[in-house]
Amino acid sequence: MDTICDLYLSDKHTQQQWQSFLTDRGITNFNPQEVTTIDQTIGLYNAEHQLVGTGSIANNIIKFVAVCDQDAPTKGARFNQLISELTNRLGAQGIFHQFVFTKPAYIPSFQYVGFQLLGSTEQGAILEKGVPNIKDYLAAIPKFPAAKKVAGIVLNANPFTNGHRYLVAEAAKQNDVVYVFVVNADVSLFSTAERFQLVREGTRDLANVVVVNGQDYLVSFVSFPAYFIKDNDAIIRYQTELDASIFKQQITPVLGITTRYLGSEPLSHTTALYNASLERILTPSVAVKILPRLTAGAQVISASYVRQLIKAGTLADLAALVPPTTLAFIQNNLLTLQTRISKGQNINGN
Amino acid sequence: MEIKQTAMAGTLESSDIQIILRAGTNGYEFELESDVAKQFGDQIKATITNVLQAYAIENAQISVVDKGALDLVIKARALTAVQRALAIVDTPNWEVM
Repeated sequence: MDTICDLYLSDKHTQQQWQSFLTDRGITNFNPQEVTTIDQTIGLYNAEHQLVGTGSIANNIIKFVAVCDQDAPTKGARFNQLISELTNRLGAQGIFHQFVFTKPAYIPSFQYVGFQLLGSTEQGAILEKGVPNIKDYLAAIPKFPAAKKVAGIVLNANPFTNGHRYLVAEAAKQNDVVYVFVVNADVSLFSTAERFQLVREGTRDLANVVVVNGQDYLVSFVSFPAYFIKDNDAIIRYQTELDASIFKQQITPVLGITTRYLGSEPLSHTTALYNASLERILTPSVAVKILPRLTAGAQVISASYVRQLIKAGTLADLAALVPPTTLAFIQNNLLTLQTRISKGQNINGN
Repeated sequence: MEIKQTAMAGTLESSDIQIILRAGTNGYEFELESDVAKQFGDQIKATITNVLQAYAIENAQISVVDKGALDLVIKARALTAVQRALAIVDTPNWEVM
């Protein structure tokens, strides 16, 4: 009978053993940012005390799963034992909505233990188990079956600028309905509630715009962690393609989205790679429209520049960069925002 | 009785069953994954339904991943899941057994 033990990766010897076991089975990304997010790792040992399986938990995500089926009593038994333990441990923490990243070859193995496929590319796949799942998420979003042209835009809007406003307004002009998905992860200078509120207020006059939360499904820690944590290009490409595939395979068919709108990206390397992945994955079934970025004078309007101005406290130029609703919010909350920055909130990322 | 918290019982190993119970609004809503769903799906649901009814639970979302569990295993797992969901693990209702 195989037994399950905790593996403590802080121990060098354990980590080496764990890493070589995974490497032998084709998992090779041991980027420190990936590894340090791990909350728990378990190992499965056979009667001879050999490592025959492992899996890890990072927040609500199961990752680094590998199993050796050699000398196993039945095929798949070790995998099922391992996933049972991981889902039970997540359940014990009250996390019943769980995700897994894996290679496309293992999609059926996870479906067999109750996971549902969200998106897949040639390199990877992402699955979920539990509720509220993607079906519940999409069911709660208003739908417009009569609309012919429906657009989708994903914004972090940290904060909502005239650039965002231009993108949304253009899409609203060219389409019957525009869905604006606001990034859910709460790691930006402006909180999720604040960003959501500013997008809503800044688009209130556009009758055909629907603002919704992107939850775990669009640019989230689950679908696209490199948006928030620096990572190398290959990883970014892998993640952005998965993020795009969720959008294409799950979201566009239900909401009838025909075009995804993007701003051209001269400033952020990560976002530029994301745009490229979206074009690669979405077209031709979903059109991708990239609008040139709005400028104020010689300056490309960007939320990151707005954050610099907030840090410096020079709000005089702000009126040209953000809508009145965002301007009023910044003026009223300048001290709070500056305190967040001085307390270490990173404003140079996304 | 109302479900107080989402709860899980059981494993995904052979001859076992994993049951997750959540608060619902529309009677019993089952989601069943099993190799023998065609042959025994109704019976699995009936066994779980009996346990839920014994505790007078009216609404629940029930996710089930069955790996060929026998009836008594299904009953035991359902019982544990219900007691966890109702937060009455300390005072089991032996009558249901």
